[in-house]
Amino acid sequence: MPLPDKREFLYKILVIGELGAGKTSIIKRYVHQFFSPHYRATIGVDFALKVINWDQETIIRLQLWDIAGQERFGNMTRVYYKEAVGAFIVFDVTRAATFDAVLKWKQDLDAKVTLPDGNSIPCVLLANKCDQPKEGIANNQNKIDEFVKENNFSGWFETSAKDNINIDDAAKMLVQKILENDKVQANGNSRPTSEPMFSLSKDQDTKSRKNCAC
Amino acid sequence: MECLYGIPGPPLSSPPPNKLQASISDAWVIDDDEFCNPNVNISKKVAQSAALNVINNHKTKQFESSSSTRNNKVNESESSKIAKFNALLNLNLLNLEELRSLAWSGIPNQVRPDAWRLLAGYLPTSSERRQQILERKRTEYWVFVKQYYDTERDETYQDIYRQIHIDIPRMSPLMMLFQQKLVQEMFERILFIWAIRHPASGYVQGINDLVTPFFVVFLQEFLPVGTDLELLDISTLPKEQRDIIEADSFCCLSKFLDGIQDNYIFAQLGIQQKVNQLKDLIQRIDTNLHNHLLKHGVDYLQFSFRWMNNLLTREVPLRCSIRLWDTYLAESDDFAAFQLYVCAAFLLHWRQKLLRERDFQGLMLMLQNLPTSNWSDHDIGVLVAEAYRLKVAFADAPNHISGSKTKR
Repeated sequence: MPLPDKREFLYKILVIGELGAGKTSIIKRYVHQFFSPHYRATIGVDFALKVINWDQETIIRLQLWDIAGQERFGNMTRVYYKEAVGAFIVFDVTRAATFDAVLKWKQDLDAKVTLPDGNSIPCVLLANKCDQPKEGIANNQNKIDEFVKENNFSGWFETSAKDNINIDDAAKMLVQKILENDKVQANGNSRPTSEPMFSLSKDQDTKSRKNCAC
Repeated sequence: MECLYGIPGPPLSSPPPNKLQASISDAWVIDDDEFCNPNVNISKKVAQSAALNVINNHKTKQFESSSSTRNNKVNESESSKIAKFNALLNLNLLNLEELRSLAWSGIPNQVRPDAWRLLAGYLPTSSERRQQILERKRTEYWVFVKQYYDTERDETYQDIYRQIHIDIPRMSPLMMLFQQKLVQEMFERILFIWAIRHPASGYVQGINDLVTPFFVVFLQEFLPVGTDLELLDISTLPKEQRDIIEADSFCCLSKFLDGIQDNYIFAQLGIQQKVNQLKDLIQRIDTNLHNHLLKHGVDYLQFSFRWMNNLLTREVPLRCSIRLWDTYLAESDDFAAFQLYVCAAFLLHWRQKLLRERDFQGLMLMLQNLPTSNWSDHDIGVLVAEAYRLKVAFADAPNHISGSKTKR
């Protein structure tokens, strides 16, 4: 339970991108500080939780939704995207084709989920596997800068789940954007900022309920 | 017992709702020494009460046989079971129904490869034609490989190939066997040929996991009993044997997936429909659990998609998947429908733990990491017995389950 003087926020973050780009590895690194070269392909969606002590007064819980990279999940992603307030789109710097698909993921995201005011949710682009030789546009930072600006990303980072490069920083940037949005929304709606985005479960009543009658 | 899920016991006297039930209901054989173990085909009524006893014993942890089953108690040894299978397999004309009945509750390792080939419909029931068919199908497979895999691939196929190529090295990453280059190449060919021969679905992530049980069973056919797969170097097997393992895995996989093609077509409609059916089913069987999941915002798609897509291979250890395959294959064409009940039984198995979780995070983390690492064949036996019981009790309600598309 949070201390009485601490604010607690719960945010749902999506991690999307082409198959094999390293989405699962990034999440495992971020949440468990661990890397393995062989995670099994994600089927459907995997779920992870990261708790951040943001500052003295603020605890942030990030629900990370690791969405399978195969595009056929098209229609089902709508269910997964629901209520997300931020996203990472991941591509693999060693395979240019995974970058070519980034825009498609961004459009899919913006079409399926928006902030309450109708704006798109903050999205950070991750150029993953930066510890390895790059292919195509990944070699040209200026081009990616341009691309990120043009397509309304919050920013981008070269990352390596293997060598633990920039993942924490990317998450910080995304959370910062989410918090800013939260303030804007709160001012607009006269909602106090200390109120969590989602109601955290306070359902103690399950305790008193009988689990099984037999 | 009747209050297990807060509902009355199943209507045992009701007529079989469909073909599936008829096909297996007279053959309840639970293969476990702790439980009663009728060594003969038994009537439907006895079968169902035996099923209920298994479930009841399991739930209450009272392993002494109850009064109604004590009389039936027969300790069927593995060897007599093998003998029964051999007797069937060696008949000139195999009775497939009998084989299904026998196989449903588990197949001994020694006879599993041939039993699977027959159950999958890969081998004919006539014993004299078997060798000839085997050789023909294996040759056919290698013709496909030569024609599509070994030649230059055109662009449509190239995309399929790339996806498979990315997924293969990361399947079953903890088993050294699957890190061997030769093994990965075998899987790559199997999946590629399957995908291009099934353009409506192509390669779908997860199908690689469905090859694995076939692969391991056909591999073990060439290994001395008790060989540790972890220590096996597949290059020590002669090429002819590896080619047989590969071709047979492909042929059985193809037959096996024929029954669930709609799971893997565009948008995976078959799975979406089954997820909805699962939701309806749990709502009827266990309102408490259903409401608990809903209350905390857990959507059935979030956890059961993988259960359906991979037929639970991701949720249980490989040895258990193989045992589960015995029952799936014995179900024949009806296994798609039966798998829904296996998923329901699987979810209900964890109901107490799930009800103790008090938020979305806790529920999802549990549902995606269910503690089955110690599961044995016995647990799968109980799981499918429970699935069978649910099917008997709940399948006979077209308005709720299969009729969700029709007007309500």
